[in-house]
Amino acid sequence: MATWLRNLTFVVAVVLALAAPAAAQPAQTSGCETCHKEHPQPALSTPARDFLATDVHRERGFTCVDCHGGNPNETDQVRAKAPATGFKGKPSPQGVTAVCARCHSDAAFMRKYAPKQRVDQEAEYATSVHGQQLAKGDTKVATCISCHGAHGVRLVSDAKSPVYPVNVAATCTTCHADTERMKGYKLPDGSPLPTDQRVKYEKSVHYTAMTQRSDLSAPTCNDCHGNHGAAPPGVGAVTNVCGTCHGVFATKFALSTHRQIFDRGCVECHSNHEIIEPTDAMLGTDKSSMCITCHSDGDNGFKAAAGMRAEIDKLKAAIDRSHALVSSAENAGMAMDEQSLALREAANHLTLARTEMHAFEPKAVTTVLEAGLGITAKVDAEGQAALEEVSFRKTGLAVSLGAILLVVVALWLKIRSLRATD
Amino acid sequence: MTQQVLAWLDERLDLSALRAFVAEKTVPKHRHSVWYYMGGITLFLVGVQVATGILLLLYYRPSASEAYESVQFIVSQVQFGWLIRNLHAWSANLLILMAFVHLFSTFFLRAYRKPRELTWVTGVLLLFIMLAFGFSGYLLPWNELAFFATKVGTGSAGAVPVVGDFIVRFLRGGDDVTGATLTRFYGIHVAILPAITTVLLGAHLLFIQRQGMSVPLSVEKREKAGEKIPQEPFFPNYVLHDVMWWYVALAVLAALSLFLPWELGTKADAFASVPAGIRPEWYFLAMFQTLKLIPSHVMGLEGEMLGVLGFSVAAGLLLVMPFLDRHAADGRPSKLITAAGILAVIYLVVFTIYGYLAA
Amino acid sequence: MNEVPRRLFLDTVLGLGFVSTAIAILYPVWRYVIPPASAEPATDSVVAGKVSEFRPNSGAVLKFGTKPALLVRTSDGQFKAFNAVCTHLDCTVQYKSDTSQIWCPCHNGFYDLSGAVVSGPPPRPLESFQVNLRGEPGQEDVVISRT
Repeated sequence: MATWLRNLTFVVAVVLALAAPAAAQPAQTSGCETCHKEHPQPALSTPARDFLATDVHRERGFTCVDCHGGNPNETDQVRAKAPATGFKGKPSPQGVTAVCARCHSDAAFMRKYAPKQRVDQEAEYATSVHGQQLAKGDTKVATCISCHGAHGVRLVSDAKSPVYPVNVAATCTTCHADTERMKGYKLPDGSPLPTDQRVKYEKSVHYTAMTQRSDLSAPTCNDCHGNHGAAPPGVGAVTNVCGTCHGVFATKFALSTHRQIFDRGCVECHSNHEIIEPTDAMLGTDKSSMCITCHSDGDNGFKAAAGMRAEIDKLKAAIDRSHALVSSAENAGMAMDEQSLALREAANHLTLARTEMHAFEPKAVTTVLEAGLGITAKVDAEGQAALEEVSFRKTGLAVSLGAILLVVVALWLKIRSLRATD
Repeated sequence: MTQQVLAWLDERLDLSALRAFVAEKTVPKHRHSVWYYMGGITLFLVGVQVATGILLLLYYRPSASEAYESVQFIVSQVQFGWLIRNLHAWSANLLILMAFVHLFSTFFLRAYRKPRELTWVTGVLLLFIMLAFGFSGYLLPWNELAFFATKVGTGSAGAVPVVGDFIVRFLRGGDDVTGATLTRFYGIHVAILPAITTVLLGAHLLFIQRQGMSVPLSVEKREKAGEKIPQEPFFPNYVLHDVMWWYVALAVLAALSLFLPWELGTKADAFASVPAGIRPEWYFLAMFQTLKLIPSHVMGLEGEMLGVLGFSVAAGLLLVMPFLDRHAADGRPSKLITAAGILAVIYLVVFTIYGYLAA
Repeated sequence: MNEVPRRLFLDTVLGLGFVSTAIAILYPVWRYVIPPASAEPATDSVVAGKVSEFRPNSGAVLKFGTKPALLVRTSDGQFKAFNAVCTHLDCTVQYKSDTSQIWCPCHNGFYDLSGAVVSGPPPRPLESFQVNLRGEPGQEDVVISRT
C-alpha cells in the first residue's frame, strides 16, 4: 500500500479506537426521560434532569426503572406505567428504605459494584430515632433520600455530596435547625429538642479543624451520633464516644472519681456541640473555672483543683522566665541551642500535665509538673552560667581597656617629654 | 635590628629619598593643630574595619537562609567572634562620626582652598563611600531591623525622577528586598566599595603627603607677614601623637563594646509586618526625619522627590565647595558659606536628635 | 640627672604597653581564625554523631536548626530521620523500641517508620529528613539534612 494511505489508515484506526470506549459508556437513556425531561411540572422534570446531570447510579448503568419500575421502551404514558410493568411510582416515606435496600442490603449484588461497602444500613436505620419514628408513622423524619438525595446521588467521597464530612452538619440541620419542623419533638427529660446545634458546632474546635485545617478526621454530626443508626449516644456512653478519638483522656477519666459522678461524662465540662478550645482557666477555683460548678471552698475537690491549677501556672511562669533568660543570653552572643530544646521538653510537660489532670488525681499531675520544673531549673542554671560567661568577657574587655588607657597616658607623657627636649 | 633591615632594603631600593622625606617632614603647630589628627583617627578606623571585616568574611555566609545563622555562629561558637563582631559594628559607627568631624574641621578651617581642592573632592567622595559601606553592611546580619531599614532606605531612591525605579531595582537586585539584595549588598560591601576606597584613599593620602598640612587662614596670614610658625617633626613626635589618638579611638571602641554590646536581633521575615518605630542608623536619621516631615505633595510635586533631590543638591554643593568659595585662597573666605556650614551642623545635630526622640 | 632613669622608665612602660595591647589584639585574632568545634552553623544539615554511637533499634532526639529532630536506627542498621515535632500539638516524639514505632507521649499518637500516622490524634505525617554517612568507613559521621 502507498505510504500515505497506510498512514491514513493508521490514524483512522486510532481515532476509532479512542472513540470506541466513549461509545461503550452506559449512557443509557430510557423512555421515561424523553417525557419527564421536558415536563411542564417542575416536580416531575427536576428529578429527570438531576438524574441525567450527575448521578452515581446512572454512571454505573442504572436507570429510572431500577427504582421506579415501568417499561423503559415505551413512550406512551399509560403503557409505560401499566401495573404489569411493575411500576411503583414515587415511593412513600415508609417505602423509601425498601426501595434502596433492595440492592444496598444485598451483599452478593453490592459485591459487583462496591465490594467493601457495608450492606447493613437498613438494619442500622431501624435502630435509629429516625427509623423508630418512621415505624410509628411519623413521615417528617429523615429517610435515605433526605440525606443522600434521590436523583443526583453522589458518592460520599464527592465534595459536593450532602454527606461529605464538611457538608454533613448543613444536611442534618436542614431539619434539625428548623424550629417549625422540630416543634413537638422532645428530649427524654421532656424539654423541647434544641435547634441550635449547628450554631454551637460552628464555634467548636472540631468545626475549625475540619474547615480551616482540612482535617476530615475531625468529627461532625454522624461521628458521634452515628450515620444510619443515628441517635444521641445516651447518658453513660458519652465518654466512650469521645474516647474513640480522645483515647488517653477517656482512659484517665474512666479511672477517675468523676466517672461515677458526671452524668454526661466529658460533656459536663466540655459541652457536646459547642466544644471550644480548652484553656487552663477551666481548671481551678476562680469564677471562670468549671470546678466551682460543683465544688466549694473547704471540700477536697476544691483544694485539688486549686492545687493543680496553681502548679500548672507555676510551670508556665517558670518556662516563661527561663525563656526570657535564654533569649537574653542568646542575644548577648551565647549559644543556647540545647537550652531551647530543653525548654521545648518542659513545655511538653505542660501538655502532659493537662492530659494527666483528667484523672483528677493531684499527685499524678504534680509528678509531671515537677519533672518540668526540674528541666526549667537546669535551664536557668545554664542560662545563668552563660550570663556569667558574658560578664567574664566584659571583665576581660575592661582589663584590655585599662591597658589601652595606660598606653595613651604613657604616649602622652612621652610626647610631652619629647617636646621638652626640643 | 631595624637599621640592618632598612640598610638591606636601601641597598636594593634606594630609600634615601624616602628617608630624607620622613626625617625632614614637619607639621605646623598652632591653636588648631589638634584637628590634624581627625583624619588619622578616621584612617585608623578604616584599618580596623578592614581587619575585622576580613576576619568576619572567614565565617559569614551571604544568603538569606544562612546569613543570620552565620552571624549567630560567629558570635556564639567562634572564639572571640563576639568581640570581632562588636568591634566591626561599633567601629563602623565611630568611623562615620569621625569622618563627619574631619569633614567639618577641614570645612571650617578652609583646608579645601587652593591648592588642596582635589584632596577635598576625594575626601567628600570617601565620605559618601563610607555612608554606602554603612548602609550595605547594615543589611548583612539579615535581622528584622536591618531588613526593614533597607526596605525603607532603598524605597526612598524611588523618589528620584525618571531613573528612580531603575535605581531601586538595581540596588535591590529585584523589585523587593530579598536574598538577592543581600548577595548584592555583600558584593558591594566587600569588593566594589573597598576597591573604590583603595583608589580614592590612596589618592587622598598621596595628595596630603605631597602638599603637607594646610594651616588655618589666620596662621597663613601670620606666615605671609613673615612670622615663623612653630613646627613639630613628623617623626617621631607627630607619629606618636597620631598613635596616641588611635589608642584613644581603640579605648572608645572597647568601652562601647563593653557597655553597649551589639545584639543579634530577630531573623528577618519578609512577611512579618514592619515593626513600629523603624528607623535607620543614626547617620541617616536626619535625612530620614526630614523626609518624614515633608508633606506628600508640595506645589504639585511629590514631596519625597523634592527631599531626595534636595539632599542630592546639597551633596553636589559639598563636593564642589572649593570652587564655590574661591576667594578663600586669598584670605577672604565667604561668610555666607561659613554661615551655611554652621546651619548645616545645627540641622544635622537637631534632626538626628529629633529623629531619635520621634521613634 | 633624673632625666635618663625617668625616660628609661617611660620607654619601658610604653614598650610594655605596646606589647600587652598587641597581645590583647593578636591573641583573640589567633583564636578566632582557628576553626571552632562545630565547623559550620547547623541550618540545613547537622552532624548527629558517629555511626558507632547509635545502636540498632534505638532513637535519639537532637537539635536541628530551631526544632528537634528524631534520628532512628532501625533493627537492620538503617538510619531514618524525622522532624520530631508531633503534628498534633507540637510535643516532641520519641522512638519506642519495643514496638519499633515513633510515639508521642502527650496524647498517644503513633507513627510508623515512614513517618505516616498509625493511630491517635496526629493529623499529618512526620516530615522526613535525609540521612547520609560521611567519612572513613567504620567511623562515619551521621549527617541529617533537609531534603
